[in-house]
Amino acid sequence: MTPITPAVSTAELSSFSDYLGLYRKLQKQGLSGGAQIKVALLASFTVNGLRESLYLKCAEAGLLADTYVGGYNQIAQEILDPKSGLYACGAETVIIFLDVQTLTGDLLFMPYGPTALDRRAWVEGKLAELLSWVEAVKTQSQARVILHNFEVPAWSPLGILESKLDFGFIESISALNAGLRDAFKTDPRVFLFDYEAFCARIGKDRLRDPKMYYLGDLKLALEHLPALASAYVAYLRPMAGLTRKCLVLDLDNTLWGGILGEDGENGLRIGPTPEGRPYQEFQKMILALSQKGVILAVNSKNNTEEALKAMAGHPSMVLRPEHFAAARINWADKAENLREIASELDIGLDSLVFIDDDKANRERVRQALPEVLVVELPEDPALFCKTLAGLDAFDTLQLTEEDRGKARMYAEQKQRRTLAASAASLDDYLKGLGMVLTIRPADASNTSRIAQLTQKTNQFNMTTRRYDEESIRRFAGSERHLVFSTKVEDRFGDNGICGAAIVEKGDQDWRIDTFLLSCRVIGRKVEEAMLAHIVAQARKSGAIRLLGEFTPTTKNEAAKDFYRRSGFEPRDGVWGYDLAKAFPNPDCVKMIEEATK
Amino acid sequence: MNKLRTVIARVLQVEEAMITEEASPLTIETWDSFNALMLVSELENVFKVKFTLEEVTGVKCVRDIKDNLLKRGVDING
Repeated sequence: MTPITPAVSTAELSSFSDYLGLYRKLQKQGLSGGAQIKVALLASFTVNGLRESLYLKCAEAGLLADTYVGGYNQIAQEILDPKSGLYACGAETVIIFLDVQTLTGDLLFMPYGPTALDRRAWVEGKLAELLSWVEAVKTQSQARVILHNFEVPAWSPLGILESKLDFGFIESISALNAGLRDAFKTDPRVFLFDYEAFCARIGKDRLRDPKMYYLGDLKLALEHLPALASAYVAYLRPMAGLTRKCLVLDLDNTLWGGILGEDGENGLRIGPTPEGRPYQEFQKMILALSQKGVILAVNSKNNTEEALKAMAGHPSMVLRPEHFAAARINWADKAENLREIASELDIGLDSLVFIDDDKANRERVRQALPEVLVVELPEDPALFCKTLAGLDAFDTLQLTEEDRGKARMYAEQKQRRTLAASAASLDDYLKGLGMVLTIRPADASNTSRIAQLTQKTNQFNMTTRRYDEESIRRFAGSERHLVFSTKVEDRFGDNGICGAAIVEKGDQDWRIDTFLLSCRVIGRKVEEAMLAHIVAQARKSGAIRLLGEFTPTTKNEAAKDFYRRSGFEPRDGVWGYDLAKAFPNPDCVKMIEEATK
Repeated sequence: MNKLRTVIARVLQVEEAMITEEASPLTIETWDSFNALMLVSELENVFKVKFTLEEVTGVKCVRDIKDNLLKRGVDING
């Protein structure tokens, strides 16, 4: 994916009219690059300005958004009519924003005409209606759904007695929110947008400008539309496969207060003091990110030995050397260090987020490496945690076992590099690894990981087709497709599921739709073993040819020659393999094929 | 009313010369209902005032806006 040009930043904008101004300017100028996305926005009130805000916030995140806005308060009509504009626009994501006032009507002002029994029935009814809307969108389209929950009203005519009531009004709205949350917990196509939390964050007293509400039915003040758009981007970015993977951190005055070279290890500010706690809590939040799968790296101007000693030995340090997958602690250019870190970890520069307290370093990196997301770290360390909390670039659509174990896997990777350095030849090294591959047809246990791999794998990916869980499930359920995952273990540990393939089974020709391998196991003959599995299956079924395509992107150079190397021949723009020939299993790999369906 | 004229022209995206005292939604095409709301919001931000609902609904042309601001002792030039 190429970055959007010219680069868009909303950091300096203050009023909503600034946003509109920038939007108009960019419309005239035209943006290029980025990932194209199509969004449909269905709202129960005037959301003029939200489309424009979303365009800008998306562009800032590398997404070029084409947004369809449904008719004013026409959510049900748009959803239930198969011929509506919603379905005609081909949106990949549908946002449903029904506000609490439209939901409740007069109940909002006079909630205690009805009895508790009535209110329970009302919640049941509304929940069923909302679920039927989502179901309709899922049936009529391929789109993902982002469904708002409801702002819990802050006012009740009962005042302080509200909580004493059997199933009170405020409790009813909370119950509806809880019902919605439970309904979609395991649905990979539907995400609940926590609008109640958004309202709380803005402040419920500040949400609306009462006059503007009466004048134009603005149930959310214009000034908050950009914040709402930002909150949507957290969902849209991973849907487009643009999740960042690695957090690169400076040390002095970033992970700890003070300068190690001047203040010494004992002079560093970190620990249970007013000056030390901001850094310690910042490190705790970073560790939590690492535990959910974000890779950590260091990029610092320091003496390596001295810095590692402080990180390992300082009693208040939370992040220790073993938490970092790569480190560049030297006096070299920070941009060059970032390049090296990306290459060492085998990830793109656009997977990196860089945090450094020094403005000049940040500017240098922004200039030299526009793909890297550089966080605008405030001067006051008291604000570090808040800044990190606002960073949503690591958000993913699903969390798999692989993510949770990623930090450990990168540590094991370091040991593999040590073995590689001591082995005489590549073959010796690969044999020494003692690799065991487990090939498993797609089922409930690996579907979400296969979908995630199609969304996140860039380098060894022959076609870079992105699929969601629902699509993988459809392929897996079809008799015409072979879908499998590949788990890789070796003597240093379990790499988890790091390969996947989707093959369309024709009578004569089998066609490889998707073939990918996570970068950490590239070059270990895993790809050959996976291909051997496909060839064996195809031969068994009596097919004659195996076809594969290579679709070049800016990142998959590593996969370019794979079919040629494997004995495929070019034919009409695709690669073909004559299935009269068997394809040998690489001898450094032990294969376990789990039950095929 | 230099500053007032500048603000209105910017919100409505027209030449400042078009913002006469008589200018109104009838004479300026871009003065639609949404831009009218934008105008309220922007004038309140720039001149640090809060209009009442009825002041807003009572505006028929630029002169009415000017009168509302002058009534509050706002400097519409500086």
